[in-house]
Amino acid sequence: MDHYSNQLNHIFQALADPTRRAVLGELGRGAASVGDLAKPFDMALPSFMKHIHYLETCGLIRTHKEGRVRICTIEKQAFGVVESWLATQRALWEARTDRLEQFVMAEQNKETAV
Amino acid sequence: MNQSFNPELDLTITRVINAPRSLVWRAWSDPASFAQWWVPAPAQCKVVAMELKPGGAFVTQISENGGEFTPHLNGCFLAVDEGERIVFTTCLLGGWRPAEEPFITASITFADHPLGTEYVAHVMHKSQGDRNNHETWGFFDGWGTVIEQLAKLVEQGAE
Repeated sequence: MDHYSNQLNHIFQALADPTRRAVLGELGRGAASVGDLAKPFDMALPSFMKHIHYLETCGLIRTHKEGRVRICTIEKQAFGVVESWLATQRALWEARTDRLEQFVMAEQNKETAV
Repeated sequence: MNQSFNPELDLTITRVINAPRSLVWRAWSDPASFAQWWVPAPAQCKVVAMELKPGGAFVTQISENGGEFTPHLNGCFLAVDEGERIVFTTCLLGGWRPAEEPFITASITFADHPLGTEYVAHVMHKSQGDRNNHETWGFFDGWGTVIEQLAKLVEQGAE
């Protein structure tokens, strides 16, 4: 798989999670601190930070420190990748095939375990 | 049947799965199994119809975040060769009825391979003219709306 579809797969993985989607939705309205972003979620800060790191790693957001506060901003460019139509379809089918493979391997393990 | 490849409209995924062909075939052809991998978690898939014969209906629904099930895929099978091949399209509905929103024809093949099964998904899309059509995003495992909403927000917010 090339780097491009790899990035797309990460982006889809990021979007598959409701917390991360909500964070992106909030950041769509403008930059925000991690503390403010975390408020609506009933989640320990370290768990929430994992989501922030995930989004940052796949390039959907950027973060920087202002004093003691970490500010997040959305990375508009990353969404441009998603707009590439056929690449998106390819990422979709790659992910689907990944899931099929995982499912089949799990089924096989069940059968050999019996 | 030979399929010509159009690099602007087609994609092919080839994967060697380390399991016998019968097992890969079952994951695809058994509705209960199929529903477990067709859409990404946390979304859920419901197989409404999977009549594995030419002209047989192929209908799935998707539920995101535990919400109600909404249409996902609506098409029909064109060819089913037991254990070897499944061809379906969303250009026709069950019983060959022309579809309102034609989008893809997909040919899925299962072949023996020294390491297990060679799985190939060849997907042909209608045309790139459809890329801004909301209906095509409906096939997007439920993420299309999300991406669209986000893109709008980003455009408004990040001038």
